[in-house]
Amino acid sequence: MNINATIKTSIRALKANWGRSLLTILGIVIGVMAIVLVIALGQGAQKLILNQVQSIGANTIILRPGRQPTQPTDAAETLLSDSLKQRDVDALLKPVNVPDLQTADPAVLVPGVISYQNSVYRATVLGWTPNALGEVFNVYPDQGSFFSQDDVKTYAKVIVIGSKVKQELFGDSDALGQFVTVHGQKLQVVGILPSKGQVTAFNVDDIGLLPYSTAQKTLLGIDYFHEIFLRAKPDADVDQVAADITATLRETHNITDPSKDDFFVVTQKTIVATVSTVTQVLTIFLVAIASISLMVGGIGIMNIMLVSVTERTQEIGLRKAVGATNENILLQFMIEALILTFAGGVLGTSIAITISALVSTIAQTYFALDWPFTLPLGAIALGVGVSTAIGLIFGLYPARKAAAKDPIEALRFE
Amino acid sequence: MALIQLENITKEYTSEETATSVLHGISFSIEEGEFVSIMGPSGSGKSTLLHILGLLDRQTTGSYLFAGQDTLILSDLERARIRNASIGFVFQAFHLLKRTTVLENVMLPLYYSQVPKKEYEQKAKIALEHVGLMHRLSHMPSQLSGGERQRVAIARALVNDPKIIFADEPTGNLDSKTGRSVMRTIEKLHQQGKTIIVITHETTAAEYANRIITIADGLICSDREVVSTHSHYAK
Repeated sequence: MNINATIKTSIRALKANWGRSLLTILGIVIGVMAIVLVIALGQGAQKLILNQVQSIGANTIILRPGRQPTQPTDAAETLLSDSLKQRDVDALLKPVNVPDLQTADPAVLVPGVISYQNSVYRATVLGWTPNALGEVFNVYPDQGSFFSQDDVKTYAKVIVIGSKVKQELFGDSDALGQFVTVHGQKLQVVGILPSKGQVTAFNVDDIGLLPYSTAQKTLLGIDYFHEIFLRAKPDADVDQVAADITATLRETHNITDPSKDDFFVVTQKTIVATVSTVTQVLTIFLVAIASISLMVGGIGIMNIMLVSVTERTQEIGLRKAVGATNENILLQFMIEALILTFAGGVLGTSIAITISALVSTIAQTYFALDWPFTLPLGAIALGVGVSTAIGLIFGLYPARKAAAKDPIEALRFE
Repeated sequence: MALIQLENITKEYTSEETATSVLHGISFSIEEGEFVSIMGPSGSGKSTLLHILGLLDRQTTGSYLFAGQDTLILSDLERARIRNASIGFVFQAFHLLKRTTVLENVMLPLYYSQVPKKEYEQKAKIALEHVGLMHRLSHMPSQLSGGERQRVAIARALVNDPKIIFADEPTGNLDSKTGRSVMRTIEKLHQQGKTIIVITHETTAAEYANRIITIADGLICSDREVVSTHSHYAK
């Protein structure tokens, strides 16, 4: 029997009950739509995050104490670990150890609030070097100036504040030269940063910067750092620099077993890898959930196909009487199921792509997010492919039932 | 060689507990070109016999040779091939496909045949011309009268140019006037050389044949040659 006639017959049978056909494929449409949408939006979100990560610059390397976080308790260990100290900075800055290193800026996080007279503001207070913000993020005070290297050496009690911090504490009155209180210590405001908003990991407007030495000794009474920002020389091989850093620290910390490292190195590359892994795991997880609805859709197809086989018992009997083989009947009902699920797959994919395009347009227009619309070809192939496979799997049982019908019983059926 | 040769055919239906015996040993043979009526009251087993003859069902015991071929050893596929190429069926309830034109209904057996696709339409039109329905090609079955529907079914039985046509109560759903017209159409096919077997319980319909086999309670009670009275009227 020729396939064209079979397809024509199947389409006619489906059109005869088009309302029912449409309801039947709804489950498939929703299932495929969910899968394609999850993948498309996942890709868009991943690109958005990666674009932000890339803005910290490929030459930036961040050194953190503790172990590479693989579970939630590791993060706490990072905050509490005291493994990174001045000797590490000194060792890293020796060209013998890390030849392609340009700068190393240790950072100390100061928990708590900044207060001035009766105003209190919870800002991100960071003990840092004079050059870091300018060099890494290209941000310089527009009033006053940064503290100097001398300030670091003399534990000067000075602070540079972000525009929001200034606004919250001082309002419109002058802040330069005034004293704010952090951790019980009075610090003189020497610089005010321009309003820049979010720059990668920091909200510059919300920040208070003081010499790291002051933060360590005077404010917190500690001798370690929470983080060291490092910059490789332009055109340096960042992976090589990261390897040199690791080797240097293992030497200063007397570590021979890499699994016992009490620090870890983060580069743009490792962040990208982490983000990709996280979004991929999330996407797989969500696709797995969406697949359940596809299963339910497939069972719906099977149910309706079984009803259809019973309804068309006479037709099956007649076809067999005039010479249709069991295979002919099987093929006819399989093709019907396949047309249904394929149409459902195409429809679901189209809806998902439309929604995904809409989301990226809205994100770009109304939220100024750099959310790119990508046509996920893999997801389209997956959606249409999986729905067709569902047709094959769930169409087989009803089609076999149809093929197995006894022609006499079928012709007697009224 | 006889086209159909039955030797002591029996048929039993077995359900879970009981076995119902329908045919108790039927033997006869039919030559090519004969027009045979099989008569009998309802429950006599004549429909079961037709299903066995038409290769839609298998006998329990006995031998059935169709065109010299032992049918018991045929596979389902081979039986489907023979039904398609050598047998035409006409049913009491017409069994036309809904939402399918007259022309396509007649073409149906060709879809399952070895006939090249380009010949489908021509063959179907020739068959429809035989039954006088050329003016109804693109009508749907629901737009036709009962007599017209049965003639479409006859055209469908004809389209593959079979050796034999089985008609199961072809006039059962028709009034007597339409029934006569359908029987005359069948008779015309016989005159053109087709072997015809009609199952009926109506004497008027049976009398178109040259031979009447009467069945009661699963056994043949008479098998006689008759002069087709209606043929005389026709001539």
